[in-house]
Amino acid sequence: MISRIGYVLRETAASFQRNLTLTVAAVITAAVSLLIFGLTLIIQHGFDNLLAQWEGGVEMIVHVNAGAGDAQRAVIEEALVQQEGITIDTWRYCDVTCSLADADRLLAGDPTTRELLTAENITTQYKVVPMDATQVDILRGLRDRYLGLPNVNTVQLAEEQLDLISELQGFVSTYTTGLWIALMAAASLLIWNTIRTAMFARRREIEVMKLVGATDWFIRLPFMLEGLLHGLIGGVLASGALWFINDRWTAGVQGFPDNSGMTALVVVDGYQWQVALIILVFGSIVGTVGSGTAASRFLDV
Amino acid sequence: MIRLENVTKSYSEEVIALRDASFEVAKGEFVFLVGPSGSGKSTLLRLLNRQERPELGAVWVAGRNIVDMPANRVPMLRRNIGNVFQDYKLLLNKTVFENVAFTLEVIGRPKHVITQQVPAVLELVGLAGKEDRFPDQLSGGEQQRVSVARAFVNRPLILIADEPTGNLDPATGEGIMRLLDRINATGTTVVMATHDQRIVDSMRKRVIQLDRGTIVRDQARGVYQ
Repeated sequence: MISRIGYVLRETAASFQRNLTLTVAAVITAAVSLLIFGLTLIIQHGFDNLLAQWEGGVEMIVHVNAGAGDAQRAVIEEALVQQEGITIDTWRYCDVTCSLADADRLLAGDPTTRELLTAENITTQYKVVPMDATQVDILRGLRDRYLGLPNVNTVQLAEEQLDLISELQGFVSTYTTGLWIALMAAASLLIWNTIRTAMFARRREIEVMKLVGATDWFIRLPFMLEGLLHGLIGGVLASGALWFINDRWTAGVQGFPDNSGMTALVVVDGYQWQVALIILVFGSIVGTVGSGTAASRFLDV
Repeated sequence: MIRLENVTKSYSEEVIALRDASFEVAKGEFVFLVGPSGSGKSTLLRLLNRQERPELGAVWVAGRNIVDMPANRVPMLRRNIGNVFQDYKLLLNKTVFENVAFTLEVIGRPKHVITQQVPAVLELVGLAGKEDRFPDQLSGGEQQRVSVARAFVNRPLILIADEPTGNLDPATGEGIMRLLDRINATGTTVVMATHDQRIVDSMRKRVIQLDRGTIVRDQARGVYQ
């Protein structure tokens, strides 16, 4: 068993050296495609942060002055209850803890502003899901009505930012997804071709191996391991590049004006490490599938 | 050890390599396959290690019909069959020792077995002391000896040789034949395809003659013609 493992590792290393230029090309292509795949996930997450406060069909947010007690909020809640089943489907109260969590995501790229917000001065929120989100006039009427209530700080409507961001998110995700799929296919094909070339270069060896009774799996294994390493090394490079790009972008966003609307378009919650793990696994799968297919297809050299 | 029953193998409608071939080879026998080029000798050898499958008939090797043998069992069959080729099929980037050890390595034999069996078989074929040479540093006869060592190192039940002396001068060819005879004397069944009349006539072993895919002669202690 140990001698077999040693053989597989030795042959994989030898094959890497034999096909150095093709190997480098396959690894770079895999790295670029995995990087774009990772960027797609990161950008999606950034947009999700931007839209965090509007999750669950929320179309209107009533901000309540900091420090408003239960008695003061009861007036607002009564006004909301009056509209239940008429113009409002559901509503929920986002207390201080919930509002601070929202601020964490919305101001992720603007830590200076975030530091100014505390449990004492942050506005709490009522998040309102309307019966029909397309009835903009009704929502505007509600906003005007709630603005007149005591202790209401502001009333925000989703239509003001949601449509634009959603459209932008759809546009970016469509093109980046298309791009990483195309590049991933190219990387997989390049790995496939690299393995085919490696097998062709070792056709005499493979012929002898088959004749002396090596199993097909034993013959395939070094090639599959080689493909897996192409994907894995590509994944490591892509993860490093992704960390660098995300770090630079986050640092850049901190310099944006407060009203740029981009302060939440960053990922600082550790999600990038999850993406790095996904990239490594995905790269390994793509490499193994590409090489495994070639190793099976061209075993009869 | 080997039995062919009414075996027919064709590559196309026009090219029929073997027609209704039947014969039996006992354990420890030495058999020459003779006949002109294209008579079906190599096809017959390829049928014995399941490189080819016949359209009709049965091929029995070591008590098993290998025609319908599942693909995953074929490697086990081949571990019992050594192969010697006219062009040696040595791996040029490996030394003599590594070429022979390769056979044991790819079937998972432990290192201590390899370090024990390879020098022994190299001694048997007369290559002791040349373990570290590469194939291109050896003569044709020596290369064929490496090929024989590789085929025999696993002590197979059967050794099939396709024109093993085809690329060698007569004296060197005789040396290879003496070697195959010694291997045969250990109990290994040898089936050898050849064009070499001199060798067949001098060895006086069983001769199966093929002509356009048909067995036209099966003679004990036979001669070439």
